[in-house]
Amino acid sequence: MTEQLRPGRFVSANRRVREDRRFVAGKGRFVADLDIPGVAHVALVASQHPAAFIEEIDASEALAMPGVVGVLTGDELAASTDPLMNGLDTPHVRRFPLAVGQVRYAGEWVCAVVAESRALAEDAAEKVRVRYTKLGFVLDAEKALQTDSTPVHPAHGSNVLLDKTFVWGEVERDFEKAEEHLSFRVTWGRNSTVPIETFGVVAKWDPWEQVLDVWASIQMPKYSDQIARALRIPGNAVRVHYDVDVGGSYGVKRGIKHSVLVAYLARKFGRPIRLIEDRIENMRAGDAHGPERIFDVDVAFDRDGRVRSMKMRALDNAGAYAGRAPFQLGKPIGAIVGPYLIESVQYHAVSVTTNKTVEEAVRGFGQSPTNYAIETMMDRVAAHLGIDRIEIRRRNFIRHEQFPYTIPSGSTYDSGDYHVVVDKVLEAVDLPALEAERDRLRAEGLCAGIGVAACLEPSGGNSSFEPLLNEKNRTSTWMESCRVNVDGLGFVTATVHTTSSGQGHETLVSTVVGEVLEIDPDKIRVVRPDSLGSLPGNSPVGSRMAIMLGGAAAKAAEDLKGQIMRIAAHALKVSEASLVYREGTIEGPDGLKLQWSDIVDIAHRRFHDLPPGVAPGLTATHILQVPTGRELPKEGRAQMYPCHSFEFHVVLVAFDPVLAKPEIRRYVIGHDCGTVINPHIVKGMTLGGIAHGIGAALLEEFAYDEGGQLMTQSFLDYLMPSSHEVPAVEIVKHVTPSPYTVFGQKGSGESGYLGAPAAISGAMHDAVRAWGITFDKLPIRMSTVSDKIAAAREHDRKTA
Amino acid sequence: MKPAPFSYVRPSSLDEACAALASEEDARVLAGGQTLMPMLAMRLSRPTLLVDITRIAELIGIEEQGSSIVVRAATVQAYALRSELIAREVPLLAKALPNVGHPPTRNRGTVGGSVAHGDPSAEISLAATVLEAGIVFRDGEDETSFLPEEFFIGPTVTMAPMGGCLTRIVFPKKPSGRVGTGFHEVASRRSDYAFASAAAQLVFDEDGTCSEARLGIGSVGDVPVKVDVDGLVGGAADDAAIRDVVAEALRDLEAVDDLHATASYRRRAAAALAERALREARDEALESRP
Repeated sequence: MTEQLRPGRFVSANRRVREDRRFVAGKGRFVADLDIPGVAHVALVASQHPAAFIEEIDASEALAMPGVVGVLTGDELAASTDPLMNGLDTPHVRRFPLAVGQVRYAGEWVCAVVAESRALAEDAAEKVRVRYTKLGFVLDAEKALQTDSTPVHPAHGSNVLLDKTFVWGEVERDFEKAEEHLSFRVTWGRNSTVPIETFGVVAKWDPWEQVLDVWASIQMPKYSDQIARALRIPGNAVRVHYDVDVGGSYGVKRGIKHSVLVAYLARKFGRPIRLIEDRIENMRAGDAHGPERIFDVDVAFDRDGRVRSMKMRALDNAGAYAGRAPFQLGKPIGAIVGPYLIESVQYHAVSVTTNKTVEEAVRGFGQSPTNYAIETMMDRVAAHLGIDRIEIRRRNFIRHEQFPYTIPSGSTYDSGDYHVVVDKVLEAVDLPALEAERDRLRAEGLCAGIGVAACLEPSGGNSSFEPLLNEKNRTSTWMESCRVNVDGLGFVTATVHTTSSGQGHETLVSTVVGEVLEIDPDKIRVVRPDSLGSLPGNSPVGSRMAIMLGGAAAKAAEDLKGQIMRIAAHALKVSEASLVYREGTIEGPDGLKLQWSDIVDIAHRRFHDLPPGVAPGLTATHILQVPTGRELPKEGRAQMYPCHSFEFHVVLVAFDPVLAKPEIRRYVIGHDCGTVINPHIVKGMTLGGIAHGIGAALLEEFAYDEGGQLMTQSFLDYLMPSSHEVPAVEIVKHVTPSPYTVFGQKGSGESGYLGAPAAISGAMHDAVRAWGITFDKLPIRMSTVSDKIAAAREHDRKTA
Repeated sequence: MKPAPFSYVRPSSLDEACAALASEEDARVLAGGQTLMPMLAMRLSRPTLLVDITRIAELIGIEEQGSSIVVRAATVQAYALRSELIAREVPLLAKALPNVGHPPTRNRGTVGGSVAHGDPSAEISLAATVLEAGIVFRDGEDETSFLPEEFFIGPTVTMAPMGGCLTRIVFPKKPSGRVGTGFHEVASRRSDYAFASAAAQLVFDEDGTCSEARLGIGSVGDVPVKVDVDGLVGGAADDAAIRDVVAEALRDLEAVDDLHATASYRRRAAAALAERALREARDEALESRP
C-alpha cells in the first residue's frame, strides 16, 4: 500500500483540459502535418487473394515510370531484417512488413513502391505485376482449429497459437454441488477502434550521425526497441519523436510493420520516407482489427441465484499473424469473475490463425468481449430462475467489506462499493418510472427493453499476461517515469516519455505536480523528450496513465519537495520537522521564511549554501513500478492489474418490430474510478467508450465474404455510430479510492466501452422477451432482429 | 486513395461542356462530387477527363414552366431543400430532400448528380420515379428526355447517352384537388443509404374519394420502382385498404440481400414504410383544403 496524498485544490477540480485549446483550434501537430524536406512517399501493392504463393514480382514497368524512386519486395526485406515480434512463443509464425513467399490474407502488402508523391506511387503500384498460385484458405476460427484445416503457417504445424486451460478452485466439485446448470454460446464480432487519423509514419536515416529519426502516430510499448531489433541496429540509433499528436487510437496505433518498412526504405534510398495509410489500407491491411471471439460458457448456480462456478472457453480468431493479439485472452484473467463472488473458474483460452487481417490490441485488451460473456451469463441465469436481473447481480456482488478481495485466478481487487453504485444509479434512473416508460412504449406497439450491465475496468496496465501465457517471457515490470525540473528562473517543467493519443497527459501531469508543489498547474510546462532522451516507460495502454504517469509525477514532485525542505532546513539552520511548506514558500519557527526564489537561487547558484552531499540544481526523477506488481505468475495464477474501476449501465431501447432500428431512449451509467484527477477527461473517456460500445453492439463489423474478401473496407460499410445514434448519457459518479495509488485514482481509459455492449444486448433481449428470441452474436443487426421477430410471429400464428 | 491521372475542365456554357464531353471517350461530368470524388480516390472510376458543370449558369436554378417545375441539373440539394416553389408545387420532392445525405453533402451534392448516378437508394430518384418526372439530357445538338422507369436500369447503370449531359429534371406540379404525400425510409444510421424507402402521393376528391394514387419503393431492388396502387382509387384509402393494396403491390418486389440487410427484411420494411407513407399522404390530403 502506498501512502496516500489527499486530493486537494487541483486534483478532482473542474479544470479545463490543457490540450483542448490546440485541438479545438485545429493546431494539433499530427504526423501528416510534418513537412520533412526531401521526403518520398510509399504506396503498397496488396494481395487480392486470401492465400497464395507469390511466384513472381515484375516491377519493371513501375520502375520505368517518372517519379518512381524504387520498389521493395518482401524477399529483400526479409533478407536484411528480423521478423516482427511475437508475444507468444511461436517462432515459426514469422511476420515481416511485406509478405514473404506467400500471402495470408486479402489486402496483405506484397511490395512497396516509393515515389516522389503518393499519387505517383499509387500509379506505379498499379503497374507492378504479381503472379500468384492460389492456395486454400480458412476464415472461421472453429474450422481453423480442426487438425485437418489448411494451415495458415505450414511451418508452425497447425493454426493453434495458444491453447491453455486454467482451473482455479474446485470447479468440478462446485458444478456437482450446484443446483442448476446452463450453457450457451455467444460471439463477439470482429470490430475495432477506428480512429479519425489513420496510422502514419515518417522515418529519416542520418548516415553521419547514424541515427534513425521516427515520427509516428503511435501508441505502443517498446516501440523504438522493436524497430531497432527488426532492423538489427543499436537501440540508441533509433530516435522516436514523442511530440507528435496521435489522432485517436485506443490500442490500435501499433504500426510496427509500417514503421520497420519505412525505416528500411529510408536507409535503402537515403531519403526520408513517409507512409500515411489511406482508409482502405487502414481497414484492410493496417493490422488493426480487434478481437473476434466465440465464447462457450457453462455456469453452475443455486436456485437462490448464487453463481457457484463457471467454465468458459474463449476462441479468438487472431487473423493471419500472431503479434501481441493473443495476449488479449490473457488480460481478462485478472477480472475473469467480473464484480462477482464466483469461487471457481475453468478458463480455456484458444487463439488460432486464419486468413483474415491481423488482430491488434483494442480498448480493454479483451475485457469488453469477456464482460459481454459474463453479463450474458448473469442475464441467462436470472431468466432461468425468474429472478430480476439487477437483483441477481446484487446477490453475487463482492461486498464492500470484502476488499481487498482475491479472485480465484489470483488477482486481488483493490477496492469497490458495487451495491452502493447500483443503488445510486437506480435512484437516478427512477427504475419504476423507467419500467413504466418501457411498458408504455410496448403498449404503443413498439419493442422496448431495459438492459443492465455491471463490470470492471482493470487498470494500471501491467504485463503479467505475458509470462502467464508465455513461460519464456519473464517480464514483471511495466514501469512509467516522470522527471520534474525547476530551472534557474524558478519555473517548473515536467516530462512525459511517450506519445499521447488523447489521454490528456499534459493536464494529468501538470495537475498532479501542481497539487504536490501547491503551484498553479497552468504555470507548469509539460514536455515530451524524444526516445533517446527518455526515461523508461510503457506508453498509455491498459488504462494506466492516471495511475502510472500520475503516480510517477506525484512521487517525483514529492521528492523535489523533500529536496526543497532539506535545502531550507540547512539554510535556516532549523530541523526539517519544524518547517511548513505552503505554496512554494517555506515557513519556519519565529517568522523564519524562505521564498521559492531563495530556494532556486541556492540550488542553482549558491553551492556553498547547499547541505553537504546535496547536488546542485533542483530536479527529481521517479520511475514507478506498477503497484502490486511484485512477482511472476505462479501455478497459473497472476496478479494482473492493480486497480479495478466499476461501472453499472442501465439503458432503455425501443424499436419498431418490423423496421427494428434500435433507438436508445435513456442511457445512465454509474462510474467509480476512484479519485478523479480531471473530471472532463474522465467524462470524455466514458462518453466515447459508450459510443464505441454502441458500435460494437449494433453496427460495427469487419466482415468477410466466403471468398476471403473484406466486405467492409470503408465507412460506407463499416458503420460507426454518428452523433444521431449516440444518445445523451447521464453519468452517476461515485468514488471508492484505490489504496494502491497516490491519490486513490484508478483507470478510466476504457470506461463505458467495457459494459455498453453487454447492456445494449441485454436491452435488445428484454425487448423481444415475449417471443423468447436470443441474439447470439454482436453486432445485432436490424435485419436479424426483424427477421427473427417475423419468424416468431409466423410461428405464433401457426400454433395459434 | 489518390485518383488515377485525369484532365479537368470547367466550362462556362452547356455548349462547351457538351463539346468537352464529346471530345474524349472516357469523359465524365463532375457536379457536386459527393459520390464521384470518393470513387475517383478509390480508383473505382477512372475517367480521363472531368467536365465540371458547377459554374454553368444555365444549369443552375429552379423555375416554374407551365404545369412543370424544372430543376436544373447542377442545382445543389440544399438550395432545392429551401425552395418555396418545390415546397408548394412538388411536395413529395420536398419531403424526400431532407433524407438526402447530410447537411454538408447537400451543400455540394446536386439534384442532377444524384439522379445521374443512378443509386437505387437515391431519394430524389425515387421521388422522380413516383411522379414520372422527365430526365432531360443534352447530347451534342440533341435533347433527349427519359422517364425514370426507362432511365434507371440497374444499380448505378442508366440509359444516360454516352457523352451526354443531364440538364434538368422536369417534375410535374402537384395535381389540383386534395393532395397529400408521404416519404419514409429506414437505414442503419440516419441519412445512410437506406435499406428500404417509400414515397407516396395521393389525391382525393372533395367528397373524400381517392382519385389518384402513386407509390414508389427505393433501395430494395436494383432500381427505384413505381408500383401499382390503383386499387386505392375510388375508395377512402383506409388503413385496411392500404394494407391490402400494399401487400398486393409488393408481392413480387425484387430485393437484394447483403451484409447489412437481408432481402426478406428489405421487403418487410418496404411494406411497412409504404403503408406509413400512404397513411401519411392520406391524412395530409384529407386535412388539406381543396
